[in-house]
Amino acid sequence: MSPRRSLSPGRLRALAAAALATAVSCGGGQTRLNLFSTDWSDDEGASIGRIYDRVGRAPAPPGADVAIAVVGNASRIVGMRLSEPGASKWTFAHALDGRPVIAGGVVVASGSGEVFALQAATGGVLWRRPTGGLPLLGAGDDGAITVMAFRSAGGVGSVLLAVGRDGQVVRQIETPKALGTPAVLGHLGFVPWAGQYVSVIDLANGDEAARVTVRQETSRAWTQSGALWFGENGFIRFDEHIRDASKGKASTVTVPARELPGMPRVAPPGDEPMPAAANALDKTREYAKPMATPSGAALEDGRWYGTYFRIVMGFDAEHDKLAWVHMQDADIVGGAAAGGGLVLCDERGHIAELDAKTGSVVATLDLGEPVESCVVNVDSLRVPGAAAAAKPLAAQLADAVRAEEPQLVIAQKLLLRELATSEDEVATSALVDAASDPRTSPDLLPAARDALANRRNGAAAMEAALGRHYDFLKDVLRSPPVGPMADALGAMKDKAAAPLLIAHLFDPADTDDDVKRAAAALALIAEDDVAPALRQWFGMYRATAANDDIAAAVVSIADALVIMDDKPGIAQVEAAEADAATVPYARERLAPVLASRPPPAPAPDPEPKKK
Amino acid sequence: MRAFPLGAALGAALAFTGALPLEARAQNKPRPGAVAAVALPVDAIKRLKSADAAQVQGALDDVRMSGRDGAPAAKTIVDVLDRGLSPALTLAAIETLGDTQSPVANEALAWYARHREVGIRRAAITALGKLHGAVPAHALRGALSDPDEGVRGLAATEIGGLEGNTQVKETVADLFLALDHKVEEAAASIGQLCEPADCKKLAGKLGIVPFDVMAGALDQVLLRPPKDIDEATKVDIIDRVRELGTADVHQFLQDLQSKWPPKGSARVKATIDQAVTATTGSPGRRSPEAPQ
Repeated sequence: MSPRRSLSPGRLRALAAAALATAVSCGGGQTRLNLFSTDWSDDEGASIGRIYDRVGRAPAPPGADVAIAVVGNASRIVGMRLSEPGASKWTFAHALDGRPVIAGGVVVASGSGEVFALQAATGGVLWRRPTGGLPLLGAGDDGAITVMAFRSAGGVGSVLLAVGRDGQVVRQIETPKALGTPAVLGHLGFVPWAGQYVSVIDLANGDEAARVTVRQETSRAWTQSGALWFGENGFIRFDEHIRDASKGKASTVTVPARELPGMPRVAPPGDEPMPAAANALDKTREYAKPMATPSGAALEDGRWYGTYFRIVMGFDAEHDKLAWVHMQDADIVGGAAAGGGLVLCDERGHIAELDAKTGSVVATLDLGEPVESCVVNVDSLRVPGAAAAAKPLAAQLADAVRAEEPQLVIAQKLLLRELATSEDEVATSALVDAASDPRTSPDLLPAARDALANRRNGAAAMEAALGRHYDFLKDVLRSPPVGPMADALGAMKDKAAAPLLIAHLFDPADTDDDVKRAAAALALIAEDDVAPALRQWFGMYRATAANDDIAAAVVSIADALVIMDDKPGIAQVEAAEADAATVPYARERLAPVLASRPPPAPAPDPEPKKK
Repeated sequence: MRAFPLGAALGAALAFTGALPLEARAQNKPRPGAVAAVALPVDAIKRLKSADAAQVQGALDDVRMSGRDGAPAAKTIVDVLDRGLSPALTLAAIETLGDTQSPVANEALAWYARHREVGIRRAAITALGKLHGAVPAHALRGALSDPDEGVRGLAATEIGGLEGNTQVKETVADLFLALDHKVEEAAASIGQLCEPADCKKLAGKLGIVPFDVMAGALDQVLLRPPKDIDEATKVDIIDRVRELGTADVHQFLQDLQSKWPPKGSARVKATIDQAVTATTGSPGRRSPEAPQ
């Protein structure tokens, strides 16, 4: 028995190339033309126009509505059809070295030195081919031929491989260019590359039959709902306008640019292999489904979606507004937009179908075990509308903001901004809760307080919150957000809040800033009935204020007494202004306060003297 | 009474007007303000109204020297406080009001028990402890929830000896809550105020609350007169203490044995004697100052 030898990387690359060469020798012709050349001159759409005329008018074959997942430490694939609730799931055991892809009705995956295709609906094996371990980038399928792109051994260049249903190689092309994820339509391979080209490869002879220059970052081609699409973060439709693509006039629809945490993308680059296990990029994604329209292309349902770990956001594409928020029970690792909604797969293996309009969960499926990654493909599936009314957006936002998970804080800040713009009083309640709850992340708290200060409704919720005080024995160890609520209530001229704010003036657990802002609000809303309490507080602090915040509060309370024309209070302020014991910050500001008094009403005219 | 209902912070405390019979009084508690009185100088009240801080300070000193006899000046001191004084004079005025033991000071001191400066709050709590009645009691109960640990402890201590507390049962409930929140000073005050059932509940804290804290509290219970705490309750408590069987327990029982009044209950005395004998040689370190 000969000793086992370890293989060097160079030898591995040589073996991989040899494996693919073997595959070619067993099947179709090998093409070594000068494909994908960069000295190509734009033909102004002539060649792609001919291709469109040839194959573009017929609908692309339908794809599977299916979810598949990698499980068992990348040792199995489980799959389930989406369109049949209660359908049994299938399992296929095979070592995996990357993320499986769904191409039309086929699942393509690689591992243990081979690539294999399964029927997406059943998991049945269609064919297997050795690859020597080349990383799979992506695949397309038209129901007869599967075209796959692999990264070349060594990581430079690509291999394009077309395999028929019988497992025979139809075409193999090696190129130093980095190819993206291909599509197949009418025995033609549509291969994106260099971010801006889609070359059409005639699989019958290996020639580059056409090329189109597109004006959007493009590393993927795929068929969906009967149409062929190119793109990565946007969608370019293969229609009669494709011949004008180089002029930027192709039928195009994009997901509106919007600041989202994690800078999510609609799709990962199609020219990069995807790891078998999901990573953070899979948890921060955008989803949208393009649809053909008479004028070109649009987003299905006028919606696009964003995920951030277990937070899902639905956006109104037309008005560029957040429409709903859904909290999944576990981090989302995969999904796809569908007609009528969004299909999501979480790391527990649960699949949820959400209503596009409301975000309500309308159906759930279970893959039966935690998943390492998940791929969802939607073609004709339509998510039915929600049966039950969803919570108002403000309530949904409130739920999301309350979630106690440090990893969600970045998204929660964004949602807090959304909450701040809501006119719904529920939003005020939610902000009060967020700013009051000791479990609220310190990273979120300042934003919650700022948003609360700017509210102009929800006074009742604020008054209820002001009724709470620090209470050691009752384990209430955090004062409510008095300062922000005082700002808001003062701006709203909510006179009913005055006694509540006064109670906080006397609460030693409140911060100096809270006291300062409560006093400022009282200058706006205090009425005669609270004058004695204000005089009491003024007397207690005008000479003992320990800092400028409390001294500023002293001045505000003096202002309140002057505004309400409280004679004993004004006398007290005058005495304080004259007394050197009054803290300097306050004393130097009391004179202007006293000077702001309205002039006394003129005395009534004395009775004219009788002559 | 002031016109403003005093809001959520103090209204309930200062609006209280009920009157329940006094059920508990402190044991062995000489009132801090009960010093030998010096006659209040005739010009003290006039000097209290002075704009000169030194004059005010001198007058406050004179009122303090007069102790309870300084009570006629209390109203003026409250007025001066209401107008506002420097931090030093505020402290002096609060301490002086406590020494006068005048009910006129109740409300003002209750306000200052909520002052933002912790030193002023502590002074007000101490002063309230020298007063009498429902208002100080309510203010001290409120201070059990103060954000400052020292204020909570001080309030727990002062409330045990407060005279005229008409809500003893509620106060004891608050003190138990405070003890559960590690306000250890509450234990001794419970010992001063508890009825037999609550005293047994206090004894139930043996083994949970450190024994040095419990010793001070149970000492209060066991030395209270028979009209407050019956023999059976005391015997039960001594038996519970005895069961701990440590050197510290033995020391505590020995101390109790030495302090037991000659005319005190013979049955309780016998129980103490048996417990001392039973715990002789118990394990554990004795306090260095403990008599051998």
